[in-house]
Amino acid sequence: MGFLAPWFLGGLAALGVPVFVHLLRKHVTIPRPVSSLMFFERGTQSSTRHRRLRYLLLFGLRFALVLLVVLAFANPFVRRAAAGANDQILLIVLDDSFSMRAGTRFADAKQQALATLAAKPAAQKAQVVALGGDLEAVTQPIADGAQLRTALESIQPGDGHASFGELVRYVRTMSENVRAPIDLHLFSDMQHSAIPANFADLVLPQYVRLILHSVAQGAAPPNWTVESVSAPAELSDPKDPKRSHVEAVIAGFGTPAATKTISLLVNGKVIASRKIDIPANGRATVEFAPLNVDYGLNRCQVRIEGGDAFPADDVSVFSVRRSDPERVLFVHNQGENRSPIYFSAALDAAAHASFVLQSVAAEQSTDLDPSRFAFVVLSDTMTLPAIFEHALSAYVAKGGSVLIALGTSATRQPQIPLWGGGTREAHDYARSGNPASVGQVDFSYPALAQAQPGSDNGGWAEVKVLYAVPVDPAGARIAARLADGTPLLLEKQIGEGRILLFISGLDNLTNDLPLHPLFVAFVDRTARYLSGTEQLSGSRLVDSYVQLRAAASTLGAAGSVEVVDPDGHRPLSLSDARTAQSLRLERAGFYQIHFANGRDALIGVNPDRRESDLQPIPSDLLALWSGSSTGSPQRATGPTSGQTQSHIVSFWWYLMLLALLAALAQTAIASGYLGTQREEV
Amino acid sequence: MQRFLDPEVLASISSLDLLAKTVVDGFVAGLHRSPDFGFSQEFAEYRAYTPGDDLRHVDWNLFARTERCYLKRYRGETNSQLTILLDASNSMQYTSGPPAKMDYARYIAASLFYLAIHSQRDAAGLIVFDDEVRDYIRPSTRPGQLARLFASLERAEPRARTDFAKPLRHFQNFLHRRGIAIMISDFYENPETIIDTVAPLHFHGHEVVLFHILDPQEIRPALKTSSILFDMETDQKFEVVPEYVKTTYREKVDAHIEELRSRALGAGIDYQLIVTNQPLDLALREYLTLRQAGN
Repeated sequence: MGFLAPWFLGGLAALGVPVFVHLLRKHVTIPRPVSSLMFFERGTQSSTRHRRLRYLLLFGLRFALVLLVVLAFANPFVRRAAAGANDQILLIVLDDSFSMRAGTRFADAKQQALATLAAKPAAQKAQVVALGGDLEAVTQPIADGAQLRTALESIQPGDGHASFGELVRYVRTMSENVRAPIDLHLFSDMQHSAIPANFADLVLPQYVRLILHSVAQGAAPPNWTVESVSAPAELSDPKDPKRSHVEAVIAGFGTPAATKTISLLVNGKVIASRKIDIPANGRATVEFAPLNVDYGLNRCQVRIEGGDAFPADDVSVFSVRRSDPERVLFVHNQGENRSPIYFSAALDAAAHASFVLQSVAAEQSTDLDPSRFAFVVLSDTMTLPAIFEHALSAYVAKGGSVLIALGTSATRQPQIPLWGGGTREAHDYARSGNPASVGQVDFSYPALAQAQPGSDNGGWAEVKVLYAVPVDPAGARIAARLADGTPLLLEKQIGEGRILLFISGLDNLTNDLPLHPLFVAFVDRTARYLSGTEQLSGSRLVDSYVQLRAAASTLGAAGSVEVVDPDGHRPLSLSDARTAQSLRLERAGFYQIHFANGRDALIGVNPDRRESDLQPIPSDLLALWSGSSTGSPQRATGPTSGQTQSHIVSFWWYLMLLALLAALAQTAIASGYLGTQREEV
Repeated sequence: MQRFLDPEVLASISSLDLLAKTVVDGFVAGLHRSPDFGFSQEFAEYRAYTPGDDLRHVDWNLFARTERCYLKRYRGETNSQLTILLDASNSMQYTSGPPAKMDYARYIAASLFYLAIHSQRDAAGLIVFDDEVRDYIRPSTRPGQLARLFASLERAEPRARTDFAKPLRHFQNFLHRRGIAIMISDFYENPETIIDTVAPLHFHGHEVVLFHILDPQEIRPALKTSSILFDMETDQKFEVVPEYVKTTYREKVDAHIEELRSRALGAGIDYQLIVTNQPLDLALREYLTLRQAGN
């Protein structure tokens, strides 16, 4: 037993207060007048003795009150043996990230983990956790050694990116739940890129002991990797010099200057090779042009020839979809020719898209089949032929996309076609002489995406809106607002498809957006987003997600999804194939996806290139980390020591409770005495 | 009528005039005698004429028969003189319940004045003293005397402490004519000192009465717990325990009263212990007894 704040024991001097009050000090009584004291004599001594006897209970309570309060502040505690070796939880964390594929790292780590598991007492509980792209608890805390061993052996090297910050968050949660000491054994290559930016995110809870098992011996081996590849996901004309080329960045980590041969493979065949000089520990860019691919989905990869210490990251895969330019249906009012001109010009100027605009007046759209178009644009057309409007509704429900722009004729009709809502009173900013500007822009929205928008709000701040028709934004995602808060660009999911509503026009009468360069980028991104071609090809990172069906679609309303992973397996069960909204791309390679709306996709998936930097964490940082939980230096690696820890049990709270009871009791008794005194006087 | 003499009832009467009238009328009615008792033209004695005597009192019938000149004297004409010496020291304001000793002394004095002036046609005067003579009303039967006496009684608020020796030296200067001197006090003083101070009045022919006014709590005090007591005159204070009050104190008080009584009687002075919860008729009866004896 001890005291956490022993200096408060000095407060015991306050015990003298009740002693003084009850034993030494004369009680204050109101003197009684008498005519003369000539017949009286003093009787002080007997009086004191009398009071002490009478107020003994009150004195005892007050003494106890002071004593309990002082002891509570001193915070007494007892050390209780927290847990024996069998009460501690052995947490075995095996790093199965992409970098563990280098050399024999994963095999070594698994071997050490198995040895640690074998050395644990039979009754001790243990848990196996795989630390890859997504931290996975392979088992619950159990004592069954065979089950733990099986779980450990089942872990295979993955393609994800390890994060020690995520591991620490998991351990914190676990520590709060199990409330037992945890021996955390981490088997990893201790990659430097796995630690979070803030060291505070690595601090472990108090009762967690970290034992590090590093499988990376010595300095990091030199490693070259294809850091990034820039290639068109869609290609309509292989001879187009602007788009038909592949650009790859080759990076070296801890490498000397070297000349490397880089090859471009399409569908397994090398179609081009380049020799490049890569500086020591630097980067070099290689370009392949033109990109000659067949119609359809093509599996492409850029590969570093010759191999190195970590050959798994020498390849970067991507897919290219070659097709004829897709058609876009642009429906406008009869006689209104400005908007199709502006939109067509912007679409042609776009660098990435390959679309052909077909412009028709609304009255001529009766016989058109929207499903033949990548997406449909309704430019200020509030009145559509009924047949065409019905066909559009079916088109959207099956996954089609429509862009609706509201112009000056929008207020003539109460309802917006397809949108499902009416318009409000138009804002004619031109008449007031004060054009509205664009206030808020959601740059995470695909049609407006910009990596670094800049101070001019990505160029939108200069756009002046002269006329806008506000709508009810209920149920819609608002991607941009005017300065007065009016939603400018809204998206609504309907069935498998989506409708994008721009509450101003696509001509230069209602706003000056078509006159800004921003209009080209906006049309380009909007076209790619609405056509859905972005997610049909190209490349992704491991552990990214692909949306399989629209969030608004209901079960059974659309067909099932079919996914084939790089190993040729189908990761989705039959029920998942009908209900899953998204898919996590766990493995590197090509994923074939047949979407619910009938489209096929081929997506190349590459590991996070931070895994290619095999530089381990400095030893002093490791020592700091392993010591952060216990305050002691890193202990020798090996099986759990089984030391018995003790934890402190403080009982100041109980003392304060007793003090409260004593205070209440003394108050009651003292008030009783006070009443008696008044009666006497 | 006894209830009109009850001190607690009297304490509710603010006017001394009314109070005295109530007491005296009630007292006299209780005697079953005429209110004009002692005021008849009852013959008392013959006295030989001396030059200077009023010729109106000469018994001319007797002179015709005997040719001797005698004055005929009647009982009613032998008026006495009442002087009350009232102690107005601080100790007189002690009370354990109404009335206070000072108030009770006022009642007695007022009643005696009323009885003396109205009923007996006696001259009445007042000396108020504490450690010195604070007020003096010369004995007289003049109209308005009673009012002056009552006013003086009203003014006599307790203060200072009692010192018998100092004011009583002056008493003899005030009391030229023989009469009845009634001293009303609580006599917190050595009995020997008191008697030595008062005895000269008796030697000068005064009928001296000591009315010893005490509160019941002063004779039999009740003290449940030890308490701090303070002297109202000296402001001295100390702690006293109940055991002492129950035993030694009572013995000392009883001894004090007894010694005062015996010394007073030894000196030819009447002594009367009056407790403030007693009716006032005791004091009035004592006065009339003395007056009769004096006549």
